[in-house]
Amino acid sequence: MQNLSTILKSVSKPGRYTGGEYGQIIKDKKSVDLRVAFCFPDTYEIGMSNLGVRILYGALNEMDGVWCERVYAPWPDMEEKMREFSIPLFALESKDAIKDFDIIATSLQYELCYTTAVNMIDLAGLPIFAKDRGEDSPVLLAGGPCAYNAEPVADFYDIFSIGEGEEALPELCSLMQKMKKDGTYTKSAFLREASHLKGFYVPSLYNVEYNEDGTIKCFEPKYDDVPKRVEKRIVEDLNTSFFPTKPVMPFIETVHDRIMLETFRGCIRGCRFCQAGMVFRPVREKNAEVLNRQAKEIFKNTGYNEISLTSLSISDYSCLESATDLLLEWTNPCKVNLSLPSLRADSFTKELMEKVSSVRQSGLTFAPEAGTQRLRDAINKNLYESDLMNAVRLAFEGGKSLVKLYFMNGLPTETYEDIEGIAVLAKHVVDEFYKMPVRPKKPVSVTVSVSCFVPKPHTPFQWEPQNSLEELCDKQHFLGTKIADRRIRYNWHEARVSRLEAVFSKGDRRLSKAIAYAVGQGMRFDAWDEYFDYDKWMDVFEKCGIDPSFYANRRIGYDEILPWDVIDIGVSKSFLISESKKAYENKTTPNCKEKCSGCGANKLGGDVTWCPKMK
Amino acid sequence: MVPQNEIIPIRIKFKKYGSLMYVSHLDTAKTMQRIMLRAGIDIWYTEGFNPQPKIVFAVPLPVGVESECEFMDIKINSYMSCEEIASRLSANFPDEMKIIDVYVPEVKLKNIVYIDYEMEITSPNVGENTANEIEELLSKDVYVIKKSKGTEKEINVRDYIRSVSVKNEDGRIKIYTVLCGGGDKNINPELVIEAIRSNTNLLNSSPVEEYYSIMRKRMLCEDLTEFK
Repeated sequence: MQNLSTILKSVSKPGRYTGGEYGQIIKDKKSVDLRVAFCFPDTYEIGMSNLGVRILYGALNEMDGVWCERVYAPWPDMEEKMREFSIPLFALESKDAIKDFDIIATSLQYELCYTTAVNMIDLAGLPIFAKDRGEDSPVLLAGGPCAYNAEPVADFYDIFSIGEGEEALPELCSLMQKMKKDGTYTKSAFLREASHLKGFYVPSLYNVEYNEDGTIKCFEPKYDDVPKRVEKRIVEDLNTSFFPTKPVMPFIETVHDRIMLETFRGCIRGCRFCQAGMVFRPVREKNAEVLNRQAKEIFKNTGYNEISLTSLSISDYSCLESATDLLLEWTNPCKVNLSLPSLRADSFTKELMEKVSSVRQSGLTFAPEAGTQRLRDAINKNLYESDLMNAVRLAFEGGKSLVKLYFMNGLPTETYEDIEGIAVLAKHVVDEFYKMPVRPKKPVSVTVSVSCFVPKPHTPFQWEPQNSLEELCDKQHFLGTKIADRRIRYNWHEARVSRLEAVFSKGDRRLSKAIAYAVGQGMRFDAWDEYFDYDKWMDVFEKCGIDPSFYANRRIGYDEILPWDVIDIGVSKSFLISESKKAYENKTTPNCKEKCSGCGANKLGGDVTWCPKMK
Repeated sequence: MVPQNEIIPIRIKFKKYGSLMYVSHLDTAKTMQRIMLRAGIDIWYTEGFNPQPKIVFAVPLPVGVESECEFMDIKINSYMSCEEIASRLSANFPDEMKIIDVYVPEVKLKNIVYIDYEMEITSPNVGENTANEIEELLSKDVYVIKKSKGTEKEINVRDYIRSVSVKNEDGRIKIYTVLCGGGDKNINPELVIEAIRSNTNLLNSSPVEEYYSIMRKRMLCEDLTEFK
């Protein structure tokens, strides 16, 4: 591709578009009967860091006859050149145009990637709306966390993968291989057949009608053989499931340039605002031996000098002690660092800190989420101030003087007293430092980082309205006036970004009109500060006759049909309702290890979980 | 003979081409560290609080330039034959990077003073006299703006050219030139292209119609003998 090679000289970070990395998978086209383009609607640096995509890239390429390649969103300077010289979106490995592939898969990790994702369809040279693409066009598949409410982008994709994909996607590919082989393949026949596979949602096979007030009147499959609800897929046993041990090694620096080792899926905690805590249920663990074996193999295959043990809450990993013991035996002599993100303050121990003390980090991060015990109980955080104080004391004893605390503004039931509690809590951390008889020489610094609550589908707070933009800004300002200590640094998230996230996370199919219009207006990379344009979005909504408040700021009734009701995450609606009501009584729910609260997710199965087995 | 049981200096000569021309010097350095670890080379680490495997590169290769003569020096803590090092590194190199030679160096990297480049320009505007015109252009004072880290400086390209010969080969312009490439005085070969671009009718239209490539061929010592 002479064109490509000369164009690359004139764009920023050309290494994003060249492929050629160690570990990339090249297959002989003659031995391949199914080609998959795996798109990530953000830059190479972000996309290459995504563990889910790494897993699926590996799992699909394990298959005979299937070649999966990577595609990332070109930065606007590259897009401009591609359009100028008519270069359609291509895959990094072969440089072939993806419009000629069999499947174009897209990972939707967060709502603000929607315009970038849809723009990639256009850059490929395909009509963006599924209904406008012919029988001979590739099948467009989307998955990832956003697929738990696929409706805002339902009109752009042919099919969605719901839940974990490393077993589901190979099944889908096998079905396509089989149908193409025996001559029964047409795109529509395939989609109909795929809707019978577990974990696949084909939006065009459902009819949605609306009431006059804009709420959903009915949401029904068009045919009897199409499931009324699509149950998410899970991998039952993480010890035997596929995990990539020979990842592609990026040349250019990526966000997570290290070994990411998945320890377990799901979370025992059940914080009421947290979507991940609900949709990844039930908890399933990998055992320490398997983890250690995978770590050794990846180290040998990559040369990375840092291992990060990933999970939603690492201190809840029941094999943490044995796993870190096994790892440290060889990571220390090999000069490999161990890092444990997502630590909970209530299970932070001296032993744990000593194990990771070789890591060159001068600070620790905890997420109390709310400033008062009352609000922490309402959101089911199950964390006490004494836990946090124990944790910071240990950190200070260990020579660390930087503490970062994460909070959220705008949580349901929040009062200004709760907000002031954030400042009080941060001050207590500072005071704790000076109470220590022996403390680090460096001065203490506490960073308070506050985001805005975004109500998410499939959580106990899914019916909640988000605070208005004015309320959120007012709360941010109020907290600023309560923090007077110069040892406390305060930063907050852009409330307008959170509002847009709220619109899209709880949106329905009617939003596709706005997304298409925004893409036409040149909007993309909305998650990037330099491209985020709130006023332009408000203008888009107005032109498309959409009221963003309907989605973001309206309290939804428990009996209303929700756009995402078609997706069954395993957790029952009655559990979510009971959790929602308990929030208003400031009542907590025990974690899965203490006691099963009967959320329903154990119907999905899963080995090595805390769930009581279903009869 | 290679001495045993002490820190041994090793020089690695390799080429880097194709799409890897877009991988910057810093990213190449980081990639090499990981290649050493993967290959199981017992490389010497810097001392101090944050030990790093010590790898020294000869002359940074600018982005967009290919090379047949990159050099990097490492030290190893325990004996391993050069053949073994070469075969281990080869197995762990990405596709468009190849080992040319591995040996115990006799002279220092700073002996490099000049670099021999081969450039090729493809353009519909190449005429019968174009080669001569370019050769003439590069034999006289020719000023270009050098941009680095936000500062702009005018430099005379001719001051950096040791020798230059321009030919028309099958309608393409080939430039064979030896440029200053040492630590004290060096020039990015792109500036030679820039001098041509701003003083001729070449390379001023779309990058699809007209394009160029630059290849580093050899590193040279003060006396123009090939550096080893």
